[in-house]
Amino acid sequence: MTTLLLRLGAPLQSWGTGSRFVRRNTDRAPSRSGVLGLLAAAKGLRRTDPLEELLGLRIGVRVDQVGSLERDFQTARTRDGKNAMPLSYRFYLADAVFAVAIEGDEALLVGLRDALRAPVFPLYLGRRSCPPAGKLLHDLADGTVAERLAGTPWMASPWVQERHRHADVTLDTVVDCTEDEPGVELVQDEPISFDPRHRRYGWRSVRHRPVTIANPAYKPALPDPASDPHCPMAAFEGLA
Amino acid sequence: MPRTILDIHVIQTVPPSNINRDDTGSPKTAMYGGRRRARVSSQSWKRATRDAFDHLLDTDELGVRTKRVVELLSEAITDQVPELVDRSVKLAEAVLTAAGIKISQPRKKEALQESGYLLFLSNRQIASLAELAIEAAVAAGEDGKLDIAKADVRARADEAHSVDVSLFGRMVADATDLNVDAAAQVAHALSVHAVSNEYDYFTAVDDHKKRDDEEDAGAGMIGTVEFNSSTLYRYATLDVDRLRDNLGDDEATRRAAEAFVRAFVTSMPTGKQNTFANRTLPDVVLVVARESQSINLVGAFEEAIPDDAEGGRIVQAATRLAAHARELHEGFDETPVAAWVFGAGDRKVAPLAEIAERTTLGPTVEALGQLVSARLAERA
Repeated sequence: MTTLLLRLGAPLQSWGTGSRFVRRNTDRAPSRSGVLGLLAAAKGLRRTDPLEELLGLRIGVRVDQVGSLERDFQTARTRDGKNAMPLSYRFYLADAVFAVAIEGDEALLVGLRDALRAPVFPLYLGRRSCPPAGKLLHDLADGTVAERLAGTPWMASPWVQERHRHADVTLDTVVDCTEDEPGVELVQDEPISFDPRHRRYGWRSVRHRPVTIANPAYKPALPDPASDPHCPMAAFEGLA
Repeated sequence: MPRTILDIHVIQTVPPSNINRDDTGSPKTAMYGGRRRARVSSQSWKRATRDAFDHLLDTDELGVRTKRVVELLSEAITDQVPELVDRSVKLAEAVLTAAGIKISQPRKKEALQESGYLLFLSNRQIASLAELAIEAAVAAGEDGKLDIAKADVRARADEAHSVDVSLFGRMVADATDLNVDAAAQVAHALSVHAVSNEYDYFTAVDDHKKRDDEEDAGAGMIGTVEFNSSTLYRYATLDVDRLRDNLGDDEATRRAAEAFVRAFVTSMPTGKQNTFANRTLPDVVLVVARESQSINLVGAFEEAIPDDAEGGRIVQAATRLAAHARELHEGFDETPVAAWVFGAGDRKVAPLAEIAERTTLGPTVEALGQLVSARLAERA
């Protein structure tokens, strides 16, 4: 199987699956509808176009940098300024980074990769005001979603890696699975139609599973006393 | 087919201010790179851009100005429902007549009917009128009588804000056929350095009470205003091809793109403006025209700029922006079509002059307008 790897990182992103009315939540990881929407935008699919081609893709997300939740409060008035619209709250994930593996037919993925290089519609991470920052598109390679998420180096920002003082790091992954697997969870983010007239989402089953990978920024905490010019004990070396 | 995307990067310092506040009155913030940053939400700056826009453009000037509405409309009808090809002209005439627009036969015999005067219609309006005609045709069946309400036609034709709707999109829950996908994207502005909000404690004197010797000398009112001061990185991107799709006219697209860039660069949200008089202009502006994809350069500021940065915060921000842009361009074989930089003074502009042509606001807008026209003409 072939898998395309993306890095979703930006100051703000927002992946709502259960939002209604004036409170627009975000999940802690990208939703399947959000990721498929991003791919559809890159390919230039209109909201009313059928999505069948993309629905066969298997998607897995690895939470490389958890980020923090930000609440944004928004007021709005009608264009003529006469009437106030309802107050609304929008939630964002700030400072988060995700590795997203997309598994499927090779020809389809090659097409998607090319589309992401020159997207037809502007791309955004869940909400239009959240354009991606940094390197979005990573490689296309052999392997399943699980293999790629377990084998891809940690994509967190350097400052996060440096602050993590361990040789390895355990990251949460959210992967599509069948309904009968143990520990399955149901999320309503399987897009059926993005058509604004009747937007519809179905349920899909996912599994959370931790993966442990190396921390590339790891440095052993205690330097060898002999190599440290300021080590007070160095003077006594060899005196015993 | 060459695509055209305009990225606008702005570094702008604002003094103590509270441009955009949350429901508790605090200036908005967000975490980035592990540090708290000042934030001005995208919708806030879009609103400011929009308001500035109204002064730059007469919206009536944009769109297709034509007498040949029957032809345009019948084409739109057949585009949507090819089976109606034989009836499309009749349907188009019916819609226009229902709207009270007089149409008549031009001098050329075989030509379609025309309106008596030039009509201004956006692409979106034409599509919407075509939908109305199709609905009426479906309701009437093969040879039933067409029933088109004048009010319906008027409502669809009376979309006065087609330019800003084309740029910023529109979402109408109870009339989804009026929805438009935005061609412009505006990111939340973030400070390039860490901030902590500060509090200004104030007292307000009761003038009348103060004159009365019997009264105590206490204040008439006390309170606090929260504020911060920051150097913001602002980013917006405009997909010129999508704008062209929404507006349906090359010349209108050029003018809208020019006005958008000018408005985004020079506008400022009005929050607490009277309290802080914080209206500034950008320190440095980088405008990049691309053909593959838009590139947000916020990553340059993921590591917050320290207070004692070499050359000061603004020069450091410009230097980082240039370095980050160069790294991304090299790393991803991205070659911009054109890039312009302008701003306040040599020290701030110099770092970016290495990757962009140094100029000023007016010539930048003019140059990008010409670029947009040339590339749209190539596309056609």
